[in-house]
Amino acid sequence: MKRLIAYGLVLLFLLFATAPYTVNAGLVFIAGIAMTEIIFALSWNMLFSYAGLASFGHAAFFGVGAYTAAVFLKYDYGLHFLLVIALGTFLGGVSSFVVAIIVLRRASGIQLAILTLALSQLVVTLIGYSAFLGRDEGIPSIPRPVMEFGLFRIDMNDQVQAYYFLFVMSLLAVALMWLLLHGYVGRRMKAVAIDPERAAFVGIDVWRVRVFAFTIGGAFAAFAGCLLVPWAQIVTPDLVMWLHSAQPMLATLLGGAGFFWGPIIGVLVLSMVNYATRTFAGLSEVLVGGILLIVVLLAPQGIMGFLRRIVERSSTGKPAMVEEQA
Amino acid sequence: MILEANGIEKSYGALKVLHGIDLSVDEGETFAIIGPNGAGKTTLFKVLTGESPANSGVVRFRGQDVTKMSDFRRARLGFGRTFQVARIFPEVDVFTNVAIAVEARLSAEGRSPGRWWDWRASSQVALEVEEILERFGFARARWRTEARYLSHGDRKRLEFCIALATRPALLMLDEPTAGMSPSDRREMTGLLARLKRDGGVSIVMTEHDMDIIFELADRLMVLNYGEALATGEPAAVRRDPVVREVYLGQHHA
Repeated sequence: MKRLIAYGLVLLFLLFATAPYTVNAGLVFIAGIAMTEIIFALSWNMLFSYAGLASFGHAAFFGVGAYTAAVFLKYDYGLHFLLVIALGTFLGGVSSFVVAIIVLRRASGIQLAILTLALSQLVVTLIGYSAFLGRDEGIPSIPRPVMEFGLFRIDMNDQVQAYYFLFVMSLLAVALMWLLLHGYVGRRMKAVAIDPERAAFVGIDVWRVRVFAFTIGGAFAAFAGCLLVPWAQIVTPDLVMWLHSAQPMLATLLGGAGFFWGPIIGVLVLSMVNYATRTFAGLSEVLVGGILLIVVLLAPQGIMGFLRRIVERSSTGKPAMVEEQA
Repeated sequence: MILEANGIEKSYGALKVLHGIDLSVDEGETFAIIGPNGAGKTTLFKVLTGESPANSGVVRFRGQDVTKMSDFRRARLGFGRTFQVARIFPEVDVFTNVAIAVEARLSAEGRSPGRWWDWRASSQVALEVEEILERFGFARARWRTEARYLSHGDRKRLEFCIALATRPALLMLDEPTAGMSPSDRREMTGLLARLKRDGGVSIVMTEHDMDIIFELADRLMVLNYGEALATGEPAAVRRDPVVREVYLGQHHA
């Protein structure tokens, strides 16, 4: 299984790394969107699988990042785009910290789901009142930034440069999340996710770990939001809506919640379905619904869990007793 | 005195389960709570560990009032705990189970559990985990086994390792041999006896198995209908006629 994952990751890396030279512009655009959705989905799974928190309003933090970036690019405040990303990520972290402090005091499980959902819809409503944020229409035709780095410059008006900027930033985010979740912080979070009471009895402050996970998860979601803006060049309240909050959940369930890489597989499958059915309005929803139904019924551990079962069966004839580090 | 409880009363609704229990445990002592089913052992135990708040009464740890202290603060103070049905982290491997506890302790002590970006446990943590696992008979080949594949007895042993990794001053053991096979039971008894011999840790336990109690306990308390029937050294308690009648008589006729 480890080897399979390694091969899969190399293949994925190559596909994304060569996309601008191997596939058409439409697919490259989708690949760019998929990268931001991957970060978004991983950040949600960070809460779900590693801290045991099911947030139904995660898109709100994505929105904080996206609107921050949109405002700075649209109204041209002249801030270096890297700093805009840093600011957007920071604001995402601060807002999710505040939400965590309020919401996690008492709620977990279904109350948490409803509260986060309500808060994210509240953000949608607030955006609707703000002319500055474009009300229900959002902010369209956002200019792409040009970044000076002294020795070189990245002009995002150039599609290839923009793509590789996104690619490098996404790699960075994924690597950061992998390291964080596989180190002692991840172990501590995992302990809280598996059995909060047991975790408390070894001296882990469950509440603090959850607030931390929520904050970091929100920051990464905002980071994804920041990256989307120069690529899509438009933000709308749809990015904050519950439907967008549901995307990482679908991706995670589809790919496999127990696996770090699961949400990536899920995002790819969802993106492919959306692309393949782009000319048939409504068909993608039917297909996604159908696929989810099949996965939930036949492979509750998602695609990754299904693969692991096959690998274990074919290699030893009985369940492997060795833990997968993936 | 490491643990002291005064006037513990507890009711579930109209049903009064504990009627003003007093007890004290000395440093290094092994204290057992026994009694027939429904006597309130587990309730008293949960009040002492802080899981279940008492209606009145005070619990002190080395003189400090811990009655309303949260679980994790108690754990950091020196409470270690195992459960009747072993609670481990089934989705991670044996090594990680113990590493979580070691790292939690280091963090609580204000020391660094390692570098955040390092996916391997720091050498200091690894060393300690290895030492504990080896001491309690987990062969190196099994360290990467996911804990959910362990047998019931091994789970109990692993939970024990987790509890010890926090270096508790007071180990709270709720039926440490419940549901074990006779051989596992002997092994666990031997393990507890060794821990006692090595010193430095006080133990409060509930247990059904009288042989184990009489082998391990320095003092014991007999509960019946939520009242302390007798407290004292095992031999003395065994001779107590009231105790013989209501409890021990059932087993040691």
